[in-house]
Amino acid sequence: MVEWRLQRLPSAGTGAALGARIAAVLLALGVAAVALVLAGQNPFALAAQVIRATFGSTFGLEDLGLLLIPLLLTGLSVAVGQQIGVWNIGAEGQFYIGAFAAAAVGLFLPGSAALILPLMFVAGAVGGMFWILVPTLARAYAGVNELITTLLLNFVAALLVYYVATGPWRERGGVSNSATARIPAEIPEFWGLVHWGLPAGVLMALGFAALLAYSRWGYEVRFAGSNAKAARYAGMPVRRHLVTVMLLSGMIAGIGGMLEIAGTVHRLQGGISNNFGYLGIMVAVLARNSCLGVIASAAFMAVILNAGIVLQTQGLTSATVLAITGLILFLTAVGDEVSHYRIVRGKV
Amino acid sequence: MDLLTSLLATAFLAGGVLAFAALGEVLAERVGVVNLGVEGLMAMGAVTGVAAVTAVPSPAFGFLASLAVGAALGIAFASATVFLRANQVLCGLALTLIGTGLSATVGRGYSGMPSPAVFERVEIPLLSKIPVLGPALFSQNILVYLIYIVLPVALHYLMFRTRHGLNLRAVGENPAAADSAGIPVGLIRFAYVVAGSALSAGAGAYLTLAFVPSWSDGVVAGRGWIAVALVIFAGYRPIPVVLSALFFGFVTALGFVGQARGWPVGAAVLSMMPYLGTIALIIVPVLAWQKVRRLMAAPASLGEPYHRDLR
Repeated sequence: MVEWRLQRLPSAGTGAALGARIAAVLLALGVAAVALVLAGQNPFALAAQVIRATFGSTFGLEDLGLLLIPLLLTGLSVAVGQQIGVWNIGAEGQFYIGAFAAAAVGLFLPGSAALILPLMFVAGAVGGMFWILVPTLARAYAGVNELITTLLLNFVAALLVYYVATGPWRERGGVSNSATARIPAEIPEFWGLVHWGLPAGVLMALGFAALLAYSRWGYEVRFAGSNAKAARYAGMPVRRHLVTVMLLSGMIAGIGGMLEIAGTVHRLQGGISNNFGYLGIMVAVLARNSCLGVIASAAFMAVILNAGIVLQTQGLTSATVLAITGLILFLTAVGDEVSHYRIVRGKV
Repeated sequence: MDLLTSLLATAFLAGGVLAFAALGEVLAERVGVVNLGVEGLMAMGAVTGVAAVTAVPSPAFGFLASLAVGAALGIAFASATVFLRANQVLCGLALTLIGTGLSATVGRGYSGMPSPAVFERVEIPLLSKIPVLGPALFSQNILVYLIYIVLPVALHYLMFRTRHGLNLRAVGENPAAADSAGIPVGLIRFAYVVAGSALSAGAGAYLTLAFVPSWSDGVVAGRGWIAVALVIFAGYRPIPVVLSALFFGFVTALGFVGQARGWPVGAAVLSMMPYLGTIALIIVPVLAWQKVRRLMAAPASLGEPYHRDLR
């Protein structure tokens, strides 16, 4: 008897996975559109407004460029961790601490921008690494799940930054009573408001993609990520790779915080990481943890985030965008599993 | 009330949120499903509770409404993770994002206002007259008794003293073996994930109808994640979960009392304590005593979708 049946493949094809992602995004936006109709809004008019405001003006494109930088870095941070099977849900906190450390250097060390900017960069990188150090050691030496430890540190980092920005580091008599003074050292702009942090982020993504694809280290990391037991059996230093990869993941997110402080915001303030760490998870998942794909998916998320900002005048908030993002993530997760299946016709 | 009594009373009240949410997570994790959506479920439960009592001024109605919303979200999560076998970590994170974002969106109209109806204290005759302990333990709202006495005992009995409990633990440990023995793996996973989600959302309603009691964006403040961590710390067992939640409530209460009495510790440090404390709780025992790893081990198939055809 010949009949149609479902067959599960061990891994989904690239085309199927990409199709699942596009379908998930369209479906999520469709659900959001239905919700908007029910709320008495016209989704098509809103979409037209978003597209006009984002792509129709230099101002909109500059905003997009500025949003792209932190999303690129946090997305890359999560994607690098995933190479060895680590969930760095703490990119949010590492971003905060990177910004915090960079701000400390920028605010309190005298010197020219040419000297201070590299120091801020190093401070951001070290800050990010420091913030993931305890989860890294706990995972590598005690087998403690990094999901929860990295996540809980996000709250601590947010409280710390909020505390210094509204307390000891607050600018007396400043425009806002919840931000530090303006940091004198600034990353120069290369196009409108968009600063050199963008090319730097793209270069980092390209660099990590090359390192993972072509170096022995990258091969061992990916091997350990797909089968740690086999990697250990083959004599690879799995624990050392785990520690390195996690620290690098924290470092990238910390650099993201530094770029945000030194290039875009120029002050340390509470909520400086505007959910960028959590959106970075989205970026990495949409990119299927490919360091090159992260560039494209970060650009997509920047459009979504910017849409939320444009629509704030229409009564939508960043929280609504977060909910829609969550819906995309949910449908992507489902779509990923569905794309493992194919329909085959065969004998029973 | 003297210091000790108010400390204990606050500890029971504050720990109740975590205990409730963590009991829900125990149900899901015991059948082998990691639900990282607790934070989002609590946020949705919290806003539903306030919205419902604004419409009908009865705290019980608000609580039931939040259970229903939690169950509905749980059905979506469980359909994806149990029947479609989608990645549990991703679906859980998505549920947290959806719940956090959606609750803030629908809750804007209720933000900052005190809940119109809340669970009132119930004085238990005689017992509430015991010095020190009486006012702390036996003069609480009705949910506190549910959380600290009824639920943990009932769940412990169900899990460790009944045939059904053996089955549900088998589903979490070795679904292939359970399946061979004729236990409906998918159905049991689905049912307990949905029930657990309802409890987690109920914890949110407890927050806005008994503990805080008002809704504001960010009112959950990471308690969902602390609850997930407590489940690990307590070795996936209902009674230790409740006891460790109570311990956490005590730490929180110390923070409140400290702030009120002007102890020489910064408010910022005090507000960081629950998160740092949780991290210490899940790392230190494993380092200190290697044996606890086996004793407190997670269900063997936790986080793994079950494919019958890939046994």
